[in-house]
Amino acid sequence: MFKKILVANRGEIARRVIHACREMGVETAAVYSEADEKALHVLEASEAVSLGPSEPSQSYLNIDKIVEAVKKTGAEAVHPGYGFLAENARFAKRIEEEGVVFIGPPSAVIRDLGDKIVARRIMKDGGVPITPGMIEPGPDPARVAAEADKIGYPVLIKAAAGGGGKGIRIVNSGGEIADALAGASSEAKSAFGDGSVYVEKFFPKARHIEFQILADSHGNAIHLWERECSIQRRHQKIIEESPANVMTPELREKMGQAAVAAARASGYVNAGTVEFLVDEKGDFYFLEVNTRLQVEHPVTEMITGIDIVRKQLEIASGEKLGIRQEDVMGRGHAIECRLYAEDPRSDFMPSPGKIKYYKEPAGPGVRVDGGVYSGFEVPVDYDPIVSKLIVHGEDRDKAIARMIKALGDYVVLGVTTPIPFMIDVLNSEAFRGGDIFTDFIPRHFADWKPANRNKREALIAFVADELSGRASKKPIAAGKSRVPSPFDTLGNWRL
Amino acid sequence: MEYNLILDGETAPVEVETEGEGKISVTIDGVKSDVAYSVIGEHRIRLVIEGKAVDVFVTGDSSGKSILIGGESFLVADKDAAGQPSFRKVAVGSLPDVVTAPIPSVVVSVAVSEGDRVDKGQAVMVVSAMKMETTLRAPYSGTVIRVNAGEGDKVMPGHVLVDIERDEDGEGEHV
Repeated sequence: MFKKILVANRGEIARRVIHACREMGVETAAVYSEADEKALHVLEASEAVSLGPSEPSQSYLNIDKIVEAVKKTGAEAVHPGYGFLAENARFAKRIEEEGVVFIGPPSAVIRDLGDKIVARRIMKDGGVPITPGMIEPGPDPARVAAEADKIGYPVLIKAAAGGGGKGIRIVNSGGEIADALAGASSEAKSAFGDGSVYVEKFFPKARHIEFQILADSHGNAIHLWERECSIQRRHQKIIEESPANVMTPELREKMGQAAVAAARASGYVNAGTVEFLVDEKGDFYFLEVNTRLQVEHPVTEMITGIDIVRKQLEIASGEKLGIRQEDVMGRGHAIECRLYAEDPRSDFMPSPGKIKYYKEPAGPGVRVDGGVYSGFEVPVDYDPIVSKLIVHGEDRDKAIARMIKALGDYVVLGVTTPIPFMIDVLNSEAFRGGDIFTDFIPRHFADWKPANRNKREALIAFVADELSGRASKKPIAAGKSRVPSPFDTLGNWRL
Repeated sequence: MEYNLILDGETAPVEVETEGEGKISVTIDGVKSDVAYSVIGEHRIRLVIEGKAVDVFVTGDSSGKSILIGGESFLVADKDAAGQPSFRKVAVGSLPDVVTAPIPSVVVSVAVSEGDRVDKGQAVMVVSAMKMETTLRAPYSGTVIRVNAGEGDKVMPGHVLVDIERDEDGEGEHV
């Protein structure tokens, strides 16, 4: 096992990795930007290296600076977390070239799977079902139109180098092909520097189900069951659960085999996620492989009891998996809610700012992977994730009840969070009934407004708070003792 | 006494009578409730409304409080509270021609330093008095020649806190 690793990330995921390392007796080097000088991942690591300015390109996305930090700290391996450089093949290659271990798949695998067309070809050759469509880039509108006619509308035009919903167009008829092709291609060119696009069948009513895989460098590969990730806003997941509602042991067996086949076909090593679309008939199609630790990995950890980050380190240091497929058991049901500093009433706009007060929920089966504290300033420069709240229950209904209770106990003052929205989603008939497709939020919660059930209590609380003088009991800034003026002591006079 | 509270853009009249130490009766929409309250911590108060306990987390002051109850969050403000920064629009044309505090205050933060260029209406200092923060703004465009108060200083009305040399060609305005 490594003596020391560098964690090339920030926030809750950097803490997650640091905590695993501390349990394993591995020293950690954190990196941080100016905005994160007082961040928890910096406070909790064995040592920390400043990267400089807050702009991602000057800090967490800066390969040279991170490599420099690796050399300076003498770390033997680098954990990239998720986001930032996690799926950057150039970064992984550079780390490999420096003679340091990249805790993730080999750079060549990241490169191949990062190109959607190459990935489709690998999967097709490996016997993994892919969505009907092209396996070569199609710049010629006539060819794309012919292909679209063959697979049937609606179709999706996608960027080969895509991600984050960019360079994607839904096309309902042949007449729209040329425009959509040009639009998707120019968007892809500006977002990814590569205008290659291709066409595949579009499934308007589909579930997004992914399989967690683990593969070691000795040829062993297994899956750790599935996660249902259909609750999304702006193409980003916000609620994930495991097991999936539609899953049967038979379908899990089939999809799990496909996921392991995907790992083998691509030469995968370390932890990864194979994403599938499952249509209304229960047919499934390969979507892509996420070559990193996923944000939602805790739901899998909760039901399987397997520490995925620990496994990542073990695999990266050359150890064998030590678990066979038949050893993997799922117990109960786990749900994760991602809490961002964002406002569900205004299309989930980020609302960064200072957290005035913060109190996490606790109790049986409740886990919080957080990165903030009272007084912490959620930086404007990065993904405004506050924390992930994960619960485990005996079954889905009990997990839902546990999540609603935990959300109700979660106190975040100072920034807006989607907690009331999450509670309403979890309480809804649609969610409880398992009617979950990727269009869930636009379909059921497009015009969501808070129910304000406690409106009367809130008005009374305002008055009581005024009269109680709580706000004036704030401690005076350190070292600034001063004689109170009558204005401090007047209290709340009213006529 | 009566409060006019703003929640979600609507004004709610709230009639309050003091019944004793930590005890009030509150009438909203014609419904009266007996309420007991106590401060639990810096951001936590406990209410007992008609015998029912309510755990409340709160931050802010009269000009606006963020109130959290059982996973729901509310922004509530007192319509009649003086100097509500979040509800009062600062009319740039009506600024005083010196930077000074409206009432005896404590300086919370200083946004400019000597030599800085400032535009008319730009925030230069934040002062706090009676639990309310007020942003002081530049009365005209110009250059900061001196900052006369620092963080934590007590300041009085009329005390010029920031000296600004007015631009000669400052859009020709004379305040």
